Amino acid sequence: MQPEYKSKYNTHVIRIVLVLAVVAVVGVTVRSMVIPESFGKYGHYRADAIKDEVNRPIRNGTNAACLSCHPYIREMHLEGIHRTVSCEFCHGPVADHVKDGKVVAKLPKKQGEEIKTLCLRCHNKIIRARPKEAIKMISMPEHLEQKHVRTDHNCNQCHNVHSPMMWVLEARAIVGVEEESK
Amino acid sequence: MMDAIQSEISRDRRAFIKKVLGGTIAGSLLLVIPAGAMDVPEQIPGMREQEGPFIKGKKFVFIVDITRCIGCGSCCVADKNEYQVPDGNYRTWVERYVIDDHDNVYVDSPNGGLDGYQKPRTDIPHPVRDTFFVPKLCNMCEKPSCVQVCPVGATYQTKDGFVLIDQKRCVACSYCVQACPYSVRFINPKTKTADKCTWCYHRVRKGLLPACVNVCPVQARKFGDVNDRNSEVYKILHQPHVVSVLKPGMGNKPSLHYVGLRREVV
Amino acid sequence: MHGLAETATGAIGYAFPNDLHVHWSLMIVLYPYITGIVAGAFIVSSLYHVFHVKALKPIARFSLVFALAFLACATLPLLNHLGHPERAFNMMLTPSPTSAMAGFGYIYSAYAIVLILEILFIYRPTLVVLKDQATGFMRTVYNVLSIGSDNLSSRSLHLDHKIISFLAGLGIPMACVLHGYVGFIFGGVKANPMWATPLMPVIFLLSACVSGIAGIIVAYMFIMKIKGRPVDLECIRTCIKYLWGFFILDFTFEMLELFSHAYMATHHWHALHELYWGPLYISFWVLQVGIFSVIPFFILTFMNLFRIGDGLVKFLAPVVSLMILFQVLLMRWNVVIGGQLMSKSERGSVIFQPQWLEKEGILPAIIIMVLPLVILYILSKVFPFWQEDDPYVSGSAASGE
Repeated sequence: MQPEYKSKYNTHVIRIVLVLAVVAVVGVTVRSMVIPESFGKYGHYRADAIKDEVNRPIRNGTNAACLSCHPYIREMHLEGIHRTVSCEFCHGPVADHVKDGKVVAKLPKKQGEEIKTLCLRCHNKIIRARPKEAIKMISMPEHLEQKHVRTDHNCNQCHNVHSPMMWVLEARAIVGVEEESK
Repeated sequence: MMDAIQSEISRDRRAFIKKVLGGTIAGSLLLVIPAGAMDVPEQIPGMREQEGPFIKGKKFVFIVDITRCIGCGSCCVADKNEYQVPDGNYRTWVERYVIDDHDNVYVDSPNGGLDGYQKPRTDIPHPVRDTFFVPKLCNMCEKPSCVQVCPVGATYQTKDGFVLIDQKRCVACSYCVQACPYSVRFINPKTKTADKCTWCYHRVRKGLLPACVNVCPVQARKFGDVNDRNSEVYKILHQPHVVSVLKPGMGNKPSLHYVGLRREVV
Repeated sequence: MHGLAETATGAIGYAFPNDLHVHWSLMIVLYPYITGIVAGAFIVSSLYHVFHVKALKPIARFSLVFALAFLACATLPLLNHLGHPERAFNMMLTPSPTSAMAGFGYIYSAYAIVLILEILFIYRPTLVVLKDQATGFMRTVYNVLSIGSDNLSSRSLHLDHKIISFLAGLGIPMACVLHGYVGFIFGGVKANPMWATPLMPVIFLLSACVSGIAGIIVAYMFIMKIKGRPVDLECIRTCIKYLWGFFILDFTFEMLELFSHAYMATHHWHALHELYWGPLYISFWVLQVGIFSVIPFFILTFMNLFRIGDGLVKFLAPVVSLMILFQVLLMRWNVVIGGQLMSKSERGSVIFQPQWLEKEGILPAIIIMVLPLVILYILSKVFPFWQEDDPYVSGSAASGE
């Protein structure tokens, strides 16, 4: 005896198909609503992301930016051999110094051992990996001994860091001696 | 390029300083725009006239001259400052290669070269035959694997050839990190998104050179428009130097070129 | 805690500075492990429903629910891994056509739909009978699960049967795609010489079958033990036969991959060699190959070639299955983490030690592996796994249908 059923033989199948169809329609609708508007404008990405990247704040200026406000340093720096050295390498990024046209904080001036460390980042002869013709190399403390100064001297006691040979040349001019050549 | 700007500034230095000290830059907007808070002269001519979403008429390449690099790490410092890169992650780094007379190759890059190289390697038993530094950064591939694998379209290549990251769509699945043959990508622990060197796209679009190029004291890093036949990069790429790219077998076609690249460099 | 990427504890030789992070750690080990178990369990069920391996009847329905319990947890390790899990749906909103990973959202969803529908259709007569017996909340649950239908006429059941055959048939290629595709996520990474091989999807698929069959054997025998019921030994012997077959293929391909790397000896082999005989020596050679592949292989060979007694089958089947489950986990570990230990500098490798309390550490991994078992327990309260517990089957048996 076949019992009586409330639903038809295929009710559940029709319902499943309907549910799947509704899910698909809702999915497609939601998808079109939440995809960012500029997505796909130029390629498979959000076109406005380029703007976001362009608007990233600039934190490092250039030497020109720094020197525009520091005329005295400018005179020295551009005339010396260190004119290609970045101000911000030693002092930090200009964005930490100037904001909205105003000075917001002083940048650190390196002192003592810090200066020596900075100088030796470029001038240390014992690293050996450097191309010889590029820059002047020295090895410490031989350099100090050779120049007949105390071996606890810091680099900036003889060399102006902005124009390394300035004081040396001035001293030579005043004293009137040629440096002894090896 | 730097020289041109410098000579221009020197020519009328007094007037320039006066203007700056006066607090207003009345000079042409082409030369000086407020970039953030700073007044910075344009370094890449013509960039500030550019409008529209992409750079027109220019094709930028990056050249690293490893015969010049002194391993000072200025570039790494500038990069870290520009992007406030969290410690332990590197948008750019400098490697030191030491080759002894038995052809053993020793490579290191302590803290990515960020602190410079202050000490010689002491663990090399044989006499050293050759040493050099190799700066690394995004290769800005023409066929970037990272863009290919990004599942959500968060890493993309602009029509002007820059590979960038959409910080608002990246899910940080790290697939791009795995796919990059050069290991220039990392997951930024602050933003929790993928991150990498962009050749300072934001600076370039505002007419400034990449931060690392600006600070290099020996011009080991060069950036310019290869469509411009007078540019330094055009001349380098069209002269008989040893110019090569990293891992050419990967087929990524990098736009980052190396002058004086050695076979030991990977 | 280190944030997103787990930091390697050290390096041998020179690794690129950014390579000191192992970005895909335990979570990404578990992800292919779980999807593999899903695909494998589904294939066990298909052996009965599509290929009419009659001996597997006792576990055919259980395999499906078992697969569902694991499938429900397959996304958990991924979500825990993502830096921005709240953006996970970007994967379905803007899937990149060039990305091997982008298909996951759609493949996973489609597979989940097929699996759920197949379970609902297979269980429908049972659910209808259970609805009549249940009261209160459970009645509502059964009403929803039987999709409000009470029709058990032969015409209706015939329609169901056709749909079940169709879904089971559709499920096989989908299970293969689901897991072969997971293999391709790795196999398509050209920058990693360990992953970049067309064999990767094949190996993943075969190991999936192996882990699924082994998982079903262990779960079935464990539940029978707890319930104090007799194990259907014909069913277990058949499972062991399939396990043996799939494992031979799986192990052969795993070794073939390594062998062809070694034989072709491209410049990548140098780095791979250092890796297999360095940081991976214990986890690959000793554990994965030596203990958990070779020993199970001999046990399985012994079980299949000799007519062994029931008592020995009852003892060896769960032992060998557990060993194989462990082999597959080790294989996932060695592929996923092992592949990242080799720096792209080709001059060094990093050392990785998982931590207990990392976001993606050992404890979260254990929780994620226990969850499917909890879900399976909950599902057991809704879907009667075994014929003996099924009121429809026992009812129709009683009425002589």
